[in-house]
Amino acid sequence: MKILVIGGSGLIGTKVVALLRQKGHQVIAASPSTGINTITGEGLAEATKDTDVVIDLANSPSFEDNAVMEFFQTAGRNLLGAEISAGVKHHVALSIVGVDIMQNIGYMRAKMAQEDIIRQSGVPYTIIRSTQFLEFIGGIANQATKGNEVHLSDVKFQPIASDDVAAFVAKYALAAPTNGIVEIAGPERFDMYDVATRYLKYINDPRTVVPNDQPAYYGGAVPRTALVPAGHAELGTISFGKWLSTQLQQA
Amino acid sequence: MKNEGGKENNRHSTPGKKEAETLIQTVEDYRREKEILLALSNELTKVREKNDLLHLFKKGIKGLFYISHTIITLIDYKDETYTPFLLDNEGSPIRTHDRYQEMVHSRFSLNEPFIQSVLQASAPISFLLKEVMDLPQSPPFLQVNYEKGVTEILMTKLMKEGKPIGFLHIYTDKPEGFSAEFRSIINGIVPQISGAVSNILKNEELLKEEKEKSFLLDFSSEIAAVRTKDDLARAVHGAFRKLNPSGGFVIRRINEDKHTLSIYVYDMPNVKNRKIIKELENTSFEMNDGLQNRILNSAIPVLLNTEREIRRGITSTYLQYWKQLGIENFVGIRLRNGETNLGILLLDIDEINVRLLKGICAQISIAMANIIANDQVSKTQGEQAFLLDFSKDITRVRTREELQHAIFTVLDKTMHTKLAMIRVLEDDGIHLSAFMYDKSLFTKVKDQFDNMAAHRITVDEPYTAQVLASEEGIMFSVEEEIKSGNDYAGLWRSTGLKNMYALPLRVGDKSIGTIWILANRLSPLLVKGICAQISIAIANIQANEKLLTYKKKLEIENDYLKEQIKTIYNFSEIIGNGEAMQRVYRLISLVADSNTSVLITGETGTGKELVARAIHNASGRKDKLMVKVNCAALPANLIESELFGHERGAFTGATDRRIGKFELANNSTLFLDEIGELPPDAQAKLLRVIQERELERIGGKQTIRLDVRLIAATNRNLDEEVKAGRFRADLYFRLNVFPIHLPPLRERQEDIEPLANFFIQKYTRSTGRKIKSISPKVIQKLRSYTWPGNVRELEHLIERSILLAEDGKIDDLFIPESTGTDKTNPALLLNRSLDEVERSYIIETLKRCGGKISGTGSAADILKIPGNTLHSKMKKLGISKSDYFS
Repeated sequence: MKILVIGGSGLIGTKVVALLRQKGHQVIAASPSTGINTITGEGLAEATKDTDVVIDLANSPSFEDNAVMEFFQTAGRNLLGAEISAGVKHHVALSIVGVDIMQNIGYMRAKMAQEDIIRQSGVPYTIIRSTQFLEFIGGIANQATKGNEVHLSDVKFQPIASDDVAAFVAKYALAAPTNGIVEIAGPERFDMYDVATRYLKYINDPRTVVPNDQPAYYGGAVPRTALVPAGHAELGTISFGKWLSTQLQQA
Repeated sequence: MKNEGGKENNRHSTPGKKEAETLIQTVEDYRREKEILLALSNELTKVREKNDLLHLFKKGIKGLFYISHTIITLIDYKDETYTPFLLDNEGSPIRTHDRYQEMVHSRFSLNEPFIQSVLQASAPISFLLKEVMDLPQSPPFLQVNYEKGVTEILMTKLMKEGKPIGFLHIYTDKPEGFSAEFRSIINGIVPQISGAVSNILKNEELLKEEKEKSFLLDFSSEIAAVRTKDDLARAVHGAFRKLNPSGGFVIRRINEDKHTLSIYVYDMPNVKNRKIIKELENTSFEMNDGLQNRILNSAIPVLLNTEREIRRGITSTYLQYWKQLGIENFVGIRLRNGETNLGILLLDIDEINVRLLKGICAQISIAMANIIANDQVSKTQGEQAFLLDFSKDITRVRTREELQHAIFTVLDKTMHTKLAMIRVLEDDGIHLSAFMYDKSLFTKVKDQFDNMAAHRITVDEPYTAQVLASEEGIMFSVEEEIKSGNDYAGLWRSTGLKNMYALPLRVGDKSIGTIWILANRLSPLLVKGICAQISIAIANIQANEKLLTYKKKLEIENDYLKEQIKTIYNFSEIIGNGEAMQRVYRLISLVADSNTSVLITGETGTGKELVARAIHNASGRKDKLMVKVNCAALPANLIESELFGHERGAFTGATDRRIGKFELANNSTLFLDEIGELPPDAQAKLLRVIQERELERIGGKQTIRLDVRLIAATNRNLDEEVKAGRFRADLYFRLNVFPIHLPPLRERQEDIEPLANFFIQKYTRSTGRKIKSISPKVIQKLRSYTWPGNVRELEHLIERSILLAEDGKIDDLFIPESTGTDKTNPALLLNRSLDEVERSYIIETLKRCGGKISGTGSAADILKIPGNTLHSKMKKLGISKSDYFS
């Protein structure tokens, strides 16, 4: 099959591209640097030509509310427009667990807009809603840091390793379109502050985590269980501990 | 056999002279190598384009070492492949291979052992083709080269910023392969070659950008000069010719209805089929057809496949035509000015250069918006100029024909439509009749239309009521009206137009009618302007027509009055108090107030007209003029038109509309004198009018309701006329509702003296003579006369006597001598002398006998007197031949 991976040079993208190529598929890793730009439309028509599956893993270069909304809407419309014209048979996109209940956060509104564009496009699709990646923990701790303290809540948190995410994406891309949402998550559920504490301790970070009971995600108040799957979800195989050990090896 | 490494180190190191020679040779070799490297490096730094590099390979490398050919391939990381970039078009032995073109355009995977080993090698690495070409996943070019006699390949990876960007392939068909020196030199110049390739790439990119920019600049200056649609077509045509000489383009514009798009400008050089072009030119394509709306909603150009779009279920006919024309793929881009979509551009090309197309489309969009705005302005100006002309025309309009011409022209020119109908409110303020319409609009349903147009409607007719009640008119959708069962909508639909615009015609606040215009779309402002003008024009024409009618009526009345002055007895009262006249007076007063038809009979000169006038003057209609028609005085062929009027063109010579006496007598009295003389045709028609109380003008369709009081008079005995078949019995009964018989003067002896006195007074006044008295002898004479001409004769006799009187006294009367011919008149018979009787009887007999005086069957024979006696009697009585041969 010919598969186009938008955002093919990113964290998940490179892994998905490698996985699919291993399986012998003709994969195009699209990114502005390889001449395929979903915002300007450059190279899009050629890239989607004779393509069976498009996997959209692209992320906005800016996280400002308006910019991120503009990015996902423009990219989504351009990409799906090109897919319709090229006769693409399956559109796979990566979204976020709880995106629909965190609409107070600009980024979530933009991701929801992206999902809506996919649902309304008429192209057969599979939307994969994932929990946060384990790779995000450092970043989450950083944005919650004041001085030497990291203020994090007991919001429920079930992070998944990017390798697991990539494997799920590749799996769904090769399966028939579900025309619906599937949820994926890590194998274990924590309180957010707990994960951060363990992570910082593991990497010998001097900051201390101060737990609170105001569940929030990147500054936006969210329900305590917003970030974890409510119903059935496919769970990754890489546990927090296992992941931590590989991190240390790399570091 | 893999052979890796810079130099082979297989030189012998025997001591002595040979060693020294070898050393010198080695030094010499190094020196030569260094020189070559230096020279190549210098050359490589100058490389800016593919040709420079090719030249260098050909002259610089091939001149020094033997190789068969070289190529350079570049890595594309997006799909992890490498593909030919630079080809040795002259030296390559594989150019004649069947698969050469395939090789040139192939993308070879990086994920296979052969190329992976090249990537992992740190220096140029050579392979014997026969050893590697059949390994699994090996690229096919190895096999292709082998088949053309190539034996060995030297692969060198080209690096940029620590990352491989491509490969230098060097081939040889010599069994000795590549020398160590050659390998060493190649290894030495790899960085420069890599740099050269980067330079070429950068340069090509720059050139391409440069070309695009200059193209857009050229296009921009051409577009700047565009003023009209044709200019635009030329500019766009020129630009796309440069980009793609064989392909066509189409610009479709969103139509005013905002639902469809139609061709605006196009160039389809490959389309020879006129029919298809015409079809594409003349069709409005639905905007939301599943394709055009996608293009309009896409911010970026869309590459489309004709077959796929058809399979998707898009039914717009243009796709079918394109399929027929063999257009497989095409590009669609929206044309947008600011936030407004203007249309779409469709291009017969297979690939998209987003930057270039966006640049072109931005320019086209601006030009198009300008042209459209320009067109709009000049159209508006044209309309305004035309309205001005129309306004001037309208002020000159005096007749319907002129107005019709002005309206038809203005509707055609400004709105490309025709007048469906103007209905005008009649004087009663209730009925509306057809005033003007364009028959050519309804040719398909002519009969039905004529019917409906002839039908007078009232202001309560639902559609008319709505229109009259509306401030600025109403638009009816023909489709919807059909559904709601409007009778008129059927007519409307036959024209194929979508909407009926109905507006009230008003002058000031007063509605004067309605105007109905069929069109798909009308500019409300324009319609309003035109309607205001039309209203005034119609009001003027109506006033004008009314004026003309009044004028004509007054003229007729005037003529008539003049005639009346000449003829009527100039007194308003009837003289005479005798018993016979008392009876007449009583009848007059009985009948006057009613509307009953009256039949006045009596001998000539008995004053039938006076009685008719008395009835009229005593009736409620006395304020209006009584109209008199003398049926005997009119030629048979004119009498109908005289009575009932005629329309213009009703018959030869009917150059004008004429109002008949009946219409003239509306709300008044019509006096039909000498009714007994009316020809049978006219009798029939008269009967109908009396029965129906309405008439139609000759040649007219409109029926006119009448309220006319009828008084007929005759000196004939209508009973006998009916029996003789000369007068219709039914008409007689209609007329003879209230008969008044006027007695002859000889039966009212007592009235003779007052009448005589009356006439004397009348004529002394008018002649200026003074008549003091009438001698008793004369009075006696008046009384003894039988008055066959009745009162009229008396009047004339008095007039004559006054003129002949001397000394202010009437001494004698000049009662006419009888001519003796009129023996049927009993009055005349009574006054004759014996001689007169004898004379007239002889003349009559002679006439009967054809002038034969004597002999058998002669007058003498009939009179039973001898012929001689007759002769002498004739001589005595003065009977000449002229008397009986007249």
